[in-house]
Amino acid sequence: MHKIAEVEIQHDIMLANKKLAKRNQRIFDRAGVFAVDVLGAIGSGKTSLIENLIDKMNYRIGVIAGDVISRFDAGRFENHCVPVVGLNTGKECHLDAHLVEHALHDLPMEDIELLFIENVGNLICPVDFDLGSHIRMVVISVSEGDDTVLKHPLIFKDADIVVINKVDIAEAVGADENKMVDDVLKLNPGVVVIKSSLKTGKGLDEIINNIQKFMDEM
Amino acid sequence: MHELSMADAIVKTAIDVAGKNNAQEINEVTIEIGKLTLLNPEQLKFMISVLSENTLLEGAEIIIEEVPIEIKCKSCDFVGTAHDDLDYFVPIVKCPECEEQDLKITKGRECNVKSIKIEKEDDDA
Repeated sequence: MHKIAEVEIQHDIMLANKKLAKRNQRIFDRAGVFAVDVLGAIGSGKTSLIENLIDKMNYRIGVIAGDVISRFDAGRFENHCVPVVGLNTGKECHLDAHLVEHALHDLPMEDIELLFIENVGNLICPVDFDLGSHIRMVVISVSEGDDTVLKHPLIFKDADIVVINKVDIAEAVGADENKMVDDVLKLNPGVVVIKSSLKTGKGLDEIINNIQKFMDEM
Repeated sequence: MHELSMADAIVKTAIDVAGKNNAQEINEVTIEIGKLTLLNPEQLKFMISVLSENTLLEGAEIIIEEVPIEIKCKSCDFVGTAHDDLDYFVPIVKCPECEEQDLKITKGRECNVKSIKIEKEDDDA
């Protein structure tokens, strides 16, 4: 004889990731590592920004470079002589806390004070996947269109720093960078929004000062 | 877009619990999906059914319950269900009282495997 039984599970997949993220943050805290999750659109300048920060910030820096299949970004960071782990997600569109935990095993955590985790270029999927970082920095650029903030509001709601990059070409691409700033502040009034051009160096010091401020508050 | 990894986690959870309960078959799985996860229910069902092939979950009915977005407005202290002018790609969440967008989202981001219905040998048999 067979019988039918109902089994209550209540296992939230999102919560499971959050627990792993908390565990990652404990690992960071124990090792004295400040971790920054760098999110943003494809081609917005995430890799260039991290390269600039490696060169200008006076810390022992490490990088986790998330990418779908390639190791191009990891290779670029290696040229700056910092410890790098390339994380390929395969067909996945975001990093998750479990993948990051694996990468931590391959990093010399005791030699790192500041860790940048470059997420996969995507403004939608990474939103719900905390990695355990201390802050989230979202990088977008004017060339994605000045309606990009309103089209992807969730990623800006949880951000600590938002960088609007490539403002030097705003006029050429017909984008209003001030509208982008206003849109971000409407969604998340407490966030730091910085207009930058990594090509001219505009905004870079402001980005550094603000990361520094978050580190000091830790 | 991340339906595949979600489907994989859901399938693993259901099969794991079914195994622990000596199930011979899973007839039904109920999943709660928050509206703000932007998971597409049809894609999710399709991927669960593909990943279930040759497992205890194969052929089970997949029930997806949508969880509405609940907010706490930071401007006017409203607590409750938000206006979700929600098109798949344009989730604009506003306070229904004051229309402000500065709010804390308290519900709508879950992907919860709620329960399964299983078939098992009757213990008395």
